[in-house]
Amino acid sequence: MEIFALSEPVLLVLLSLVEQPRHGYSILKDIESMSEDRVLLSTGTLYGALQRLLDHGWIERVQEDETPRDHRTYRLTSRGRQNLQLEIERMRDLTKVTGLRMARKEA
Amino acid sequence: MLLTVYRCLLCLYPGSHRDEFSEEMTSVFRDAQSALPRALGTKTIFYRRELCGLVSGALCAHLDRIFGFTIPFRRCYMQSQFRFPRSTVFLMWVILAGVLLAIAEAKNIALPYGPTETRSAWSMLPWFIVVAVILVCSAGAAAWGILLALKRTGMHRLERLDTALKS
Repeated sequence: MEIFALSEPVLLVLLSLVEQPRHGYSILKDIESMSEDRVLLSTGTLYGALQRLLDHGWIERVQEDETPRDHRTYRLTSRGRQNLQLEIERMRDLTKVTGLRMARKEA
Repeated sequence: MLLTVYRCLLCLYPGSHRDEFSEEMTSVFRDAQSALPRALGTKTIFYRRELCGLVSGALCAHLDRIFGFTIPFRRCYMQSQFRFPRSTVFLMWVILAGVLLAIAEAKNIALPYGPTETRSAWSMLPWFIVVAVILVCSAGAAAWGILLALKRTGMHRLERLDTALKS
């Protein structure tokens, strides 16, 4: 796995782009609905996360000639998808161990 | 008016970031602003969040540009691979204090000798060796302490997690 600080905003942005390419506002709204209004990202946080993901090659801009500069669309790269999969597996393992520990303590 | 304030705050970002994202950010802010409900409380929370996000985002962008790293500002910033332990921070403070003390002591040592006074370099050699050995040992001990502290946290815990899963 790559050395990369996977914060909650970054994880949510990646999850938002799993299904389809999206532009900034669409990502914000999707994260709101995905987290049931628990996570409300500011534009500063969103574009900080997008820049880091672009720098690491986890996402890329969709090249469309007619798209205006203020409505550019982003999509997940194969590298981003692979790293997201690894992160989800790690979280699944962690949840499993947590469940086991909690059950052992309650028993 | 608030859109103008937002555009002004974007000046806090480094130039490269502004060139790349400012139009998009302004557009997203405008869309989010137009979708806000009329309630004053919701609007206040939105503007406060945007202000904090812009300031911390600009700071992160500058740090990233200068040093190549980003400081986690909030609790929700989960460092999945690496956690900086408190003991390491403590050791770093100890090292910093040691360095400052050494600098202060060096200044005191330098004062008694005037510009005309000459001393043989060979007479200082044993002391120099002793001080060098002490310094190297101290640096080694500090590095060992930091590594030990790091070993007890972060990725090493994840490795133990794998072992637990296998068993």
